[in-house]
Amino acid sequence: MKLLAPLALAFAATIPVVILFYLLLRKRTVRLVPSTLLWQKFLAETQASAPFQRLRKNWLLVLQLLLLTLGVLALARPYLAASQKLSDLRVLILDGSASMQSTDVAPSRFAEARAQALKWVDGLSGNDQMVVILAGGEAQVKQSATSDKAALRRALEACVASDTPTRLASALRMGEGLVRDLPTAEIHLFSDGAAPGLEEFENKALPLVYHRIGRSGDNLGIVGMDLRANPERPRQRSVYAAVANNGSNAQPALVELRLDDALVETRTVTIGAGETAPLLFELNQARDGVVTVRLTAPDALAVDNQASMISLLPRPLKTLLVTKGNRFLEKALAAAPNLELTVAGRVDDSAAGYDVVVVDDAPPSAWPKANLLAIHSYNTNWGSGWRRLEQPVIADWRTAHPLLRYVALDNVQVRESLAVPAPPWAVSLIDAPQASLAFAGEFGAQKIIWIGFDLLESNWPLRLSFPIFIANAVEWLNPANERSRLMVKAGDPFRTRTPGPVTNARIRYPNGSIKTLETAPNHTELVFADTSAQGLYRLTFGTNEVSFCVNLLDSQESRIAPRDELRYSKRAGVLASTAKSTNQELWRWLAALGLLVLLWEWWYYHRRSV
Amino acid sequence: MAALLTPKLLLSLERLELRSARRSRSSARGERSSRARGQSVEFADYRNYVQGDDFRYLDWNLYGRLEKLFLKLYEEERELPVRIFLDASESMSFGEPSKLDFARQVAAAIGHVALCGFDRVSVTVFPEAVARPEELVARARLRRVRGRKSAPAYFQHLATLEPSGPANLNSALRRAALEARGTGLAVVLSDFLDPAGYESGLAALVARGFQTTVIQVLAPEELSPGFFGELRLVDAETGATQEVTFSKHRLKAYRRGLDRFVGGLRDYCAARGLKFFSVSSAASLEDFLLKEMRRAEVWG
Repeated sequence: MKLLAPLALAFAATIPVVILFYLLLRKRTVRLVPSTLLWQKFLAETQASAPFQRLRKNWLLVLQLLLLTLGVLALARPYLAASQKLSDLRVLILDGSASMQSTDVAPSRFAEARAQALKWVDGLSGNDQMVVILAGGEAQVKQSATSDKAALRRALEACVASDTPTRLASALRMGEGLVRDLPTAEIHLFSDGAAPGLEEFENKALPLVYHRIGRSGDNLGIVGMDLRANPERPRQRSVYAAVANNGSNAQPALVELRLDDALVETRTVTIGAGETAPLLFELNQARDGVVTVRLTAPDALAVDNQASMISLLPRPLKTLLVTKGNRFLEKALAAAPNLELTVAGRVDDSAAGYDVVVVDDAPPSAWPKANLLAIHSYNTNWGSGWRRLEQPVIADWRTAHPLLRYVALDNVQVRESLAVPAPPWAVSLIDAPQASLAFAGEFGAQKIIWIGFDLLESNWPLRLSFPIFIANAVEWLNPANERSRLMVKAGDPFRTRTPGPVTNARIRYPNGSIKTLETAPNHTELVFADTSAQGLYRLTFGTNEVSFCVNLLDSQESRIAPRDELRYSKRAGVLASTAKSTNQELWRWLAALGLLVLLWEWWYYHRRSV
Repeated sequence: MAALLTPKLLLSLERLELRSARRSRSSARGERSSRARGQSVEFADYRNYVQGDDFRYLDWNLYGRLEKLFLKLYEEERELPVRIFLDASESMSFGEPSKLDFARQVAAAIGHVALCGFDRVSVTVFPEAVARPEELVARARLRRVRGRKSAPAYFQHLATLEPSGPANLNSALRRAALEARGTGLAVVLSDFLDPAGYESGLAALVARGFQTTVIQVLAPEELSPGFFGELRLVDAETGATQEVTFSKHRLKAYRRGLDRFVGGLRDYCAARGLKFFSVSSAASLEDFLLKEMRRAEVWG
């Protein structure tokens, strides 16, 4: 047994004071009696009849001294040392991911983790220090290194779990930085162990103590959701949802489809243990709205029982074709569905009002800001090293890119082409041995597809792959497709373009609170990163408003079974700690014993004098 | 008079007579048999006639048989001196009724019985230091009371006594024993709570030849204290203090101490042939006088 506050033993100096008080200042009631003779006889009698009279006489004093001793001992805070060594610095990392909201441990895993962490704070001794890090959507240092238990407790109490997937890497990186060069320092991780992306720590020999939180893995969750428009019927949507059962028994669940809180369809499904059930709903939509898939099942984690997406009705894609005349291109573009094509000989201003501009062998004086398909024209800002190639050989093309889906270029010949090494912001689509003949990428906020050769100087327009490529390009360049992705995973930043620099932006959170955002001047893109809570967000900037949904949709996070081992990689990991959680402080027991002694003393005092 | 003893009790007492184990040595006439020869109906002895003797006391029957003149002698009936030692110290003021009240009632009863029996009553009140002049007068009058007619005044003087000062029982008894001209009955009424003890005083009375009755009067609060806690007890007579922690649970120990003290006094008395009574001031006076004292043959 050791003492956390040995200086408190100085209070033992009060013991002689009590004895002194007992001797000197005992308060007695003065009473006049006929004679003290009988009382002397009485005292003689009690002394004669009690062999341990001296002890009994001071029984009250003995009790009071015992009480005082217990009090002094409690103040000195004795503890039974834990089986672990003492450490100068402990970094407490609380996993604040969505799975920590599971209620298989009452009231929740996160509350349990916090309670365990608080015990470690209680066991903090002397000048040892602790750091509190919350690993939610992002790692936050809630309390820097301190020995102040009150501050540590406050920091822990202020921690809340988020709806985000587990992202322990940054927290562990912080912890690693803190414990570096401290041989006795430790990192204590309170988590359920479902933490991907820790490969970087495989060989770092982190002094990590993993405290496993959680019991059961029974959980149903929506792990995927998508929304597709029917190409033939623009108002019809297909809603796809994947429901996973991570429990050990088959479980029935009621799945609801809602459009703006109006119930559209319900379906009962039974999902086998460890299986994922795909569900497909058909939805007729008359207006823009929020499509929600909700799962009603008695499981431990509620966050993954709902997913929402914003569904916007398609609107015609305004496309400007700037060309000296290219029937192939014109026809291919016109064949794309829901496209409003305008053909012009030259581009004026910045082609405002168009969603997509196709520049065909007609370099404009001012390049438009809309998404761009540039053919045999280039902007020197895009990259460097432009040159001409005679009869370049198409050596390779990137079939994995969405633009080249179902596109084969093996029978395409080109007479002459511009070529450039693919700039860093773009991906080369078609490669000649010398340089890239076509690339695609996002240059600032603008999507650009560049093709180096004149289509009419090649035989590509005659190939089947050409209209397919144009259809892919239109799809890729369509800004509405980007808008349809008005959904981010919890913790991921949401980005949206603004028509111009924004001075004033506000966000309304799912819980209804509103916050004004700081915007950088001269930026036409807003990035909002505080997406730790699931639900519908409304971002208002100027006169525009963008709604977007934040969902968990993470199969790893829905798999809530606590892991016995925190895996760094396939080869390395940390087993859950079985060591005693903390030093066992004894002051509470001493205080309880002191209370009993106090009651005893009180009883004895009354028995003696009443 | 009514305040001290009820008329009914007075009537009962009038029928009683103090019992004396010894013959009276008093010189005053009374109704007690004595060693002295004189005029009475009790024949005592004969003696030879000498010239000048009263012819009325000659035994003529004896003269007829022996032809010698003998004079018949009769026992002279003398009075019995009854001395009452009354403790009027401060400690006697305690109790409800107070110990002094009870003691003076007993003194009144004994005095009344004695006066009715033509005995002389002398009350010695101690301690002697008294400031009040009327009490000084009363004490002086109580020194010598005789005749039944004196009873009302006797009661009145007893009633004026007030408790004060420390008892000094021993010195009071020793002094009285020295001063007494004739022995007789002695009744000591006190609580005997004198730090100096009682032995030498009682021994002096016994040595002087008094037929002594000891009556110890204790207050109910002395027999069974009703106050508890951390106490600093102040002696009413001496001002001495005694610190005591007392509770109900220690009453038994107190009683043992008390019994030891009373038992000591009782044994002392028994060893010297003294009659001993210990009585609570709250006890029934009639029961004490008419039953206990009668049973102990103080009177009959």
